[in-house]
Amino acid sequence: MARTSDTHAGGALSLADIAAALYFRVLRWDVARPSWEDRDRVVLSKGHCVPALYGAFTELGLLGPEEPSQHLTTDSRLPGHANLKTPGIDATTGSLGHGLSIGVGMALAALADQRPFRTFVILGDGELQEGSCWEAAMSAGHYGLDGLTAIVDRNGYQARGDVDTEATIAVEPLADKWISFGWSARRIDGHDMAAVVDTLESVPFEPGKPSAVIADTVKGKGVSFLERGHDHYSRLTAEQAEVALQELGG
Amino acid sequence: MAILYPQVLHEIARANPTIWGVSVECWWFISGLASEFPERAIEVGIAEQNGVGIAAGLALCGKVPFVHGMVPFITMRSFEQVRTDIGYQHLNVKIVGAYSGGLEQGPWGCTHHGVEDAALMRLVPGMTVVLPADAWETEQAVRAIAALDGPAYIQLRGGELTPGGERSFQLGRASVLRPGGDVTIIACGALVSEALKAADMLAERGVSARLLNMHTVKPLDRDAVLSAAAETRALVTLEEHTIVGGLGSAVAEVLAERPSAPLRRLGLPDVFAKRTADRPELLETYGMTARHAAEAALELLDGRHA
Repeated sequence: MARTSDTHAGGALSLADIAAALYFRVLRWDVARPSWEDRDRVVLSKGHCVPALYGAFTELGLLGPEEPSQHLTTDSRLPGHANLKTPGIDATTGSLGHGLSIGVGMALAALADQRPFRTFVILGDGELQEGSCWEAAMSAGHYGLDGLTAIVDRNGYQARGDVDTEATIAVEPLADKWISFGWSARRIDGHDMAAVVDTLESVPFEPGKPSAVIADTVKGKGVSFLERGHDHYSRLTAEQAEVALQELGG
Repeated sequence: MAILYPQVLHEIARANPTIWGVSVECWWFISGLASEFPERAIEVGIAEQNGVGIAAGLALCGKVPFVHGMVPFITMRSFEQVRTDIGYQHLNVKIVGAYSGGLEQGPWGCTHHGVEDAALMRLVPGMTVVLPADAWETEQAVRAIAALDGPAYIQLRGGELTPGGERSFQLGRASVLRPGGDVTIIACGALVSEALKAADMLAERGVSARLLNMHTVKPLDRDAVLSAAAETRALVTLEEHTIVGGLGSAVAEVLAERPSAPLRRLGLPDVFAKRTADRPELLETYGMTARHAAEAALELLDGRHA
């Protein structure tokens, strides 16, 4: 990501632990069959943070070891937002507020066909300002889609680094909102891997209800200067990239 | 005698188990399908964006959803979902403008006029856009888009056109309802009946008007347009739609790239139909009747282009 300007490193890093938990532990998934009909589905509604998934895919061997460096480059398989052209991606996203409806559709298909696959939709916290998220939430609660799980990457910031989400348009109380829409909700530390894995492995929390996981995270987690800046877009110099990689243990 | 839409969809669904009905407060339209296959019928309530997004999710799981909503709302409120979730992913979803197309809602006001759908749907690359002229043509069009692998929009239409002679339907090919050599009238949807009357009026005046029923606005039958421009001396388009962006504009785009005969576009002249009046009165007010089409044809033939 250091090679390109305007990447969304902050939002990808806040999501990284959740992505790892999903792809290395929780998901029923087969890297050899990324189109397996009964695979668990993942809709990255906050599509701009797709580098978190590219990282997991590379670790799993779905992408070649050199491919991540081709993110955003001409004719690569790794465009700037989650896209069906990338193996392992289940829906093209990027415009915030669309993914949960897509997930509802997938969960409805699973229910009608009596297929076992689960659907996970990953949303941003600022994204919840889009009303279309709540249309989707309302319908999922109404239809009792317990095959559907929403994960909110609650990193506290959106486009501005100096003003947090609560000061922009407040989204709290978050758990209460999901519960009032007929969901079962739990709130966890999104960087406590034991909590992340245990929580995601125990969906649905209640039979007959979709599950919402509100994961409190840190935008830019693991890179000191990104954590401090809360930047939405990150333009890393070569030196900063060096420091970032060292801090992340790379 | 054409069968009702719910029955058409039901028959298609019976033959193809991947067909789903999604209703945005348009349950009647999927009631046939729902009566036999309730597991493939879903009501999403008054929520167009969610309805279209759900259809995308269903399509990504191999289903072929027909999403039904009122013409203005399913095309405008959920336009981004149509363009981005359905169009960009080129999903096999059919958007059905079930009612409230054109000016049929009349005195209920412009909030309920569906006069932008062709323009909006035409903007989406890979979208097939059909505005059939009557119930018979609607049935043909619905079956044709069901057989198509890709996104499509259709504005449903009832009633019965009586053009005379054998009728045929082919997606993407204009139906020539009247041959003619002096002037061409190109119409679609609700105003094809007015265009027929206009052609007859012109015939009484000794003017031979070719009438093209351009039910498929996208992909437009370019050859039919270019032939008309080469073989007749003027073209008039007529649509129950704004003249900005719909059938008239599509025809103008073809003509502009191959300069030829003069064109006059009839439809809503880039205004809201604000007059509180029923549909016939609105058509009269905004210059969209047979008489207006015939007069426009004569003016163009007379060399009066403005």
